[in-house]
Amino acid sequence: MVAARSSSFFTETNPAPLALRAAGLGKTIDERSVLRSIELSVAAGEFVAILGINGAGKTTLLKILATLMPPSSGQLQLFGLDVPRHAAQARARLGLIGHQSMLYRDLTARENLELFARLYGVQAPRRRAEELLSIVGMIDRADDAVKTFSRGMCQRVSIARALVHQPDLVLADEPFAGLDVPGAAAVERLLSDLHAAGKTIVMVNHDVLQSLRLAERVIVLGAGTVAIDRPARVADAPGILAELAGSDARFQPGEMVVR
Amino acid sequence: MPLVAQQFLLLVGKDLKIEARSRQTIGLVMVLGLLIVVVLGLGLGGGAAGGFGATVVLWVAYLFSGVLCFEKTMAVERSESALAALMLTPISHGTLFLAKLTSNLALMAAVALVITPAGVLFFSFDLSAAPFTFAAVMSLGIIGFAAIGTLFAAVVSSTRLQGGLLAMMIFPVALPLVIASTQLLIHQFRDQLPVGGMGLGVLVAFDAIFLTASWLMFELVLEP
Repeated sequence: MVAARSSSFFTETNPAPLALRAAGLGKTIDERSVLRSIELSVAAGEFVAILGINGAGKTTLLKILATLMPPSSGQLQLFGLDVPRHAAQARARLGLIGHQSMLYRDLTARENLELFARLYGVQAPRRRAEELLSIVGMIDRADDAVKTFSRGMCQRVSIARALVHQPDLVLADEPFAGLDVPGAAAVERLLSDLHAAGKTIVMVNHDVLQSLRLAERVIVLGAGTVAIDRPARVADAPGILAELAGSDARFQPGEMVVR
Repeated sequence: MPLVAQQFLLLVGKDLKIEARSRQTIGLVMVLGLLIVVVLGLGLGGGAAGGFGATVVLWVAYLFSGVLCFEKTMAVERSESALAALMLTPISHGTLFLAKLTSNLALMAAVALVITPAGVLFFSFDLSAAPFTFAAVMSLGIIGFAAIGTLFAAVVSSTRLQGGLLAMMIFPVALPLVIASTQLLIHQFRDQLPVGGMGLGVLVAFDAIFLTASWLMFELVLEP
């Protein structure tokens, strides 16, 4: 499912319900233009992967989409709600998985999930925490402090935390960073299950093949703008790698490695 | 119970639970406070300024202990970017500020309960004339100090600047409060001039200004 690209933010009609719509998004940090005129629409239930070299603006874009950072220019709508005007309502419908676990290390996995469930006003927070810990395969370690967990375990609990209030949109910033192969496989399965359950997923990732395998649509950011926006097909990997390589001044021909 | 009150209690409970488990802040801050009292006590002589030096020395101990306290409690939120997850929940920044302030006050109260008797004993400071005035003046001073400390700790942690920047920011702003509090206690205990409603009113006014300004500005300075 690929949403139509928006050229007119307010007037275009699109039959597919949109989870996210950005028009002309820009971000300047310390007088450096990190993002420039980002046009992006993501349909409800779609799985979109955002790729780009380091410094391309992927994490900045995700922070803006998560309403944690205001854009310098442009407009953003989440589920038809204008941000930042209706940021609070929009936040209630999104979950964020970050580089870091976004958990309290001295609390147990159960305490972390219950805390966030209660803060969101979730009914039966204890039951919800246990349900999620079972889903991510961490129920056996529910009463252990997060600081005793491996990176993969932290990431699984972090995914549970992001889902505690049953968000419709999941934003994932490099969810596989630092994971070993079994850990990455477990997180892949969780994301696939989420997608199958109808959640909208926007994932920032560095692994091209993994992104093409998991997502329905791939976006490549280059020089702070959308360089590629197309359906995800593994066969397109060479072209995307070439685009990534072309936007990286450090890259030397012959060094390309397909992971 | 309204959701805001529940959220407030959850956040304070979370902070205190983390502190009870890690004991990262309280032990360090108490040792620092006691060291300041002892070192300054030895340096100035136990009966410095007829014992009234205790109020000054105690304030020095509260100031440095407080700075460490504010830094540590905000560092818990920065660790693993937990603050970003908090900011996505439907908690107002005002609630977040009040919860963090309450946690800081609880820690400072615990520290003050240890440091204050030590200072009073070390300087042979006779509190019996007006123990409640002493407690009221110091408490009002600490509340105002904690308000700006909580705000500036958020500023410093948002800018990722470390070191003594927090102390450099807080101390000048807290100075009027510290001077007012110290002067009131010296008038009370040395000059036998009761503090009275006017004196306490000045401290309450400082607190009201610091609390309101910090509460309003917290939203502007807090970044995930």
